[in-house]
Amino acid sequence: MKIKKYIIIITTLIMGIFLLFPLYWLLITSFKHNMDIYRFPPQFIPVNFTVDSFKSVFSDNSVLNYLFNNVIVSAGTTIVTLLASALAGYSLSRYKTKFGTIVQTSLLSTQMFPIVGLILALYVIFKNMGLINTKLSLVLSLCAITIPFSTILIKGFFDDIPKSLEEAARIDGASRLRTFVSVIIPLSKPGMLAIGLYTFMQAWDDFLFAITFILKDGNRTLSAGIAMKFLGEVSYDWAMVTAVSVTGVLPMFVLIFIFQKYMVAGLTAGAVKG
Amino acid sequence: MSLKQKTGDTIFGTILLLPSILIVGGFIFLPVLQSVFYSFYNFKLTRRKDPLIWNNFENYKNLIDTGKLQNAFGITFKFMIVVVVVVLILGIIMALLMNQGKSQNRVKRSLALLPWGTPTVIVALLWSWMFQSEYGVVNFILLNLHIIKEPISFLVNPDTAIWSVAVAATWRQLPFMFIMILAGLQNIPKEMYEAATIDGASSIQNFLHITLPFLRNVIRSSVLVAIITNFKQFPLFWTMTGGGPMGTTETLAILTYKNAFVNLNFGVGAAVATAWLVVLIIFSLAYNKIFKEVEY
Repeated sequence: MKIKKYIIIITTLIMGIFLLFPLYWLLITSFKHNMDIYRFPPQFIPVNFTVDSFKSVFSDNSVLNYLFNNVIVSAGTTIVTLLASALAGYSLSRYKTKFGTIVQTSLLSTQMFPIVGLILALYVIFKNMGLINTKLSLVLSLCAITIPFSTILIKGFFDDIPKSLEEAARIDGASRLRTFVSVIIPLSKPGMLAIGLYTFMQAWDDFLFAITFILKDGNRTLSAGIAMKFLGEVSYDWAMVTAVSVTGVLPMFVLIFIFQKYMVAGLTAGAVKG
Repeated sequence: MSLKQKTGDTIFGTILLLPSILIVGGFIFLPVLQSVFYSFYNFKLTRRKDPLIWNNFENYKNLIDTGKLQNAFGITFKFMIVVVVVVLILGIIMALLMNQGKSQNRVKRSLALLPWGTPTVIVALLWSWMFQSEYGVVNFILLNLHIIKEPISFLVNPDTAIWSVAVAATWRQLPFMFIMILAGLQNIPKEMYEAATIDGASSIQNFLHITLPFLRNVIRSSVLVAIITNFKQFPLFWTMTGGGPMGTTETLAILTYKNAFVNLNFGVGAAVATAWLVVLIIFSLAYNKIFKEVEY
């Protein structure tokens, strides 16, 4: 029994190191002096702390601007996705029609589509709409990829709400829309929160759309901005790269610590049921 | 239910679907159809004013004759299968470990989720830094453990580049897999194990005959998510290797993007995308069929 215990402890340790050491390494590199970064053997505990890298990252407003743009795009995507997929999910859950079944199958099938493959056609579409270089192009394309998954998940939440509640509201004379807004929506808040957070994370992570549709630095979002501004052709300034990475990682980490309970519950609810 | 009410239901139900249909239809289905269409034409971004010219499968011939398409399929599948298998196995191990005892610890779980919250481009940068050939910490650790004799240029060496990207991909995807499987484990009624143990089942038998069957649904959906993610993986390759060294990491995503936006040849890029789409459709049909058969 003792050996089993040791195996468990050692495996847990290795897993923990694998998952967390890279983040630790990122963090301490960003606080090291440039000289210490290029030292071999590397220092595992930094001797001289400095915030110089952060100072130079924030020396102009571009990184703050990337962050701001990323918040706008991610929030916009989340709002539109939640609205559209709540409506569609409700329809698929309660007003089952043949057309609805076709829509549901089509939505599911989009999960398989190679996004990189359709981005060139999307580029032409946005070009014709005059939307290149706008945040709207990012919101629209991100919504298109997040709505299908969100709709299917949210439909699952609605399926769990008993129909009798709506029937009672309808008999009392409430319209279909009113029933949905004042009976169903309040009951599905936890599910909506989970889906909203998941959508936000996906939008926050976007790189492909941003490097393709946004050509002006002022409109860039975080990932694309970092890649364009801090990655040189030949060598990288690792002090700056790690400092800007730490900045980019923090908002998500805060979200995870506050909301992980809801995210996990929401995402796994659908999967466990199958 | 009256006829009027029924018509009202149908109309209401259809209206609710409209926003999603418009967005997904306009920005996924329409571009997909357009891509398929472009793939048969000579279409370059540099000469957008020129009329489209049908080029008699030239885009496809070109890709197949140079071997690039087959190469990209091979690399994409190799990468996808290895990452999915490793993530699944590690995810199961991690979930089993965390499920032991009273580890419903919020902090522990949040910490384990952090890599999942790290933006993919930052994951790429972070691992590029760790894999750096001269100052990289991975080289230092491996040298000190006497696993390697001299530093390896992980991302420049054609033998190691793809696996280095695979490590970065595993790192980011493991937490999600782990969380899903952990949720699945916690759904298994404890009495099942108690009953089996009384009947003299070993822990391996318990795992094979209780745990795995109960996890079937979770594994099916999270493996599907993992397959899709790795099939489409773009930012990791683009940032860490850009398809190099010597094309050893030129996946379908990289090949499409390079042709469309570096060589500015949309037609060829669209041809890669179309071939990819066809394979994905076949693949997903097969996947669903396999899992359906397992059920009975």
